[in-house]
Amino acid sequence: MIEDDALATHRQELRRGTVVLACLLILQRPDYGYALLEALESKGFPVDANTLYPLLRRLEKQGLLTSEWNTEESRPRKFYRTSADGAELAATLTGDWTDLDTAFRTLLKDES
Amino acid sequence: MTATLTDRYVLAMLRGVPGKQRPDLERELRASIADAIDDRLRDGADAEGAETQVLTELGDPARLAARYTDRPLHLIGPELYLDYVRVLKALLSAVAPLLFVAAGIVGFLDGVPIGRVGWDAAVTVLVTTMHIMFWVSAVFAVVGRSPSLREKVRARWEVSALPAYRLDLTALIGGSVVTALLACLLVLTQTVGPLTGADGEPIGVIAPALWESGALYLAVFFAAARVGFDLLGHYVGWGMPQAVANAVLSVLFIGSAGWLTTRGLLLNDAFFAAMGWPQAVISNVLMIALVLMGLADSAEGFRRALRRRPPTTSSKGL
Repeated sequence: MIEDDALATHRQELRRGTVVLACLLILQRPDYGYALLEALESKGFPVDANTLYPLLRRLEKQGLLTSEWNTEESRPRKFYRTSADGAELAATLTGDWTDLDTAFRTLLKDES
Repeated sequence: MTATLTDRYVLAMLRGVPGKQRPDLERELRASIADAIDDRLRDGADAEGAETQVLTELGDPARLAARYTDRPLHLIGPELYLDYVRVLKALLSAVAPLLFVAAGIVGFLDGVPIGRVGWDAAVTVLVTTMHIMFWVSAVFAVVGRSPSLREKVRARWEVSALPAYRLDLTALIGGSVVTALLACLLVLTQTVGPLTGADGEPIGVIAPALWESGALYLAVFFAAARVGFDLLGHYVGWGMPQAVANAVLSVLFIGSAGWLTTRGLLLNDAFFAAMGWPQAVISNVLMIALVLMGLADSAEGFRRALRRRPPTTSSKGL
């Protein structure tokens, strides 16, 4: 039986990077930090707030996201949207993900 | 009440980010915290409990600030750590033994009692070691925090960077044993001696004035440094810094021993008179032998530093 710590580490390693792709895909439609956190959670990509918020800033700095303040509602919120570069990266990463999926399926079929 | 904790949290987080990012970050973080609290209130949590829960999940504000600004949360990161250790090792292994000898000589020339010279030299080495460790750590910490410097320092690893082979353990033990035996022999001939004078006192090879002045303790310093170098050669590996330091040590030793010999201060006139040996010839032979030994030792140090491959069975063992 694998120890809990080791298990958590392995799962975290495997999931690392999927949050970036999920963000780029979800933010094709603009959204703000907390709503994105909820959306990721409900769609099966749970992530901590203290990881997601700095990540959004980093992706914006890399030009993969653009941002805009929405002050129409009572609480001003910063909305993020995937840029053209971000969409391109999302397409590439999606391709990589499907390749990996195919590779794993082939591997599992060969083993059984 | 509800605003206080959030205010304190936001303030603490903003302290860790550059001024021009603060207004935007503060506004966004406050909105995010308020959204999260509202969500929990809708689920039936009480106001204070919701705020505490949200802030607890966000974690240490300094850590959050470091994530926002991509600041490292370690002194010396993994990309620089190996170079850091290498620089420390090279500096310390080259400087510490030399400094021990130099401090010993200076202490002796200042007329410090022999018992204290060793202690003072050890303290000097310890203090300098701490200085070297502190400053090297400081420089690496700064380099690690400057992205442009970090890029410059991080070199691609190549096979040519493989460490020099470690000094043979047999050579190390052999060298130490020979040093110890020579020291014992010298002390024996001087104190019980093969020759005794008319007054029944033994006549030693070394001039009595020099022996009594304690100058030969300096030789013990050199011997200790010699063994120290060999130990480092074995455990740290032998490179150019060690070879240079070794050569400096040899020059120091030849210089002081040669000076004593040419001035007739090293050897005991009475000993040579009693044995009937020509002292002038012996002095010259000793001088030439000293220089040759020093040169050979320095050359060996450089040869060892330049040789990158471990000795094979066909090459000579030592």
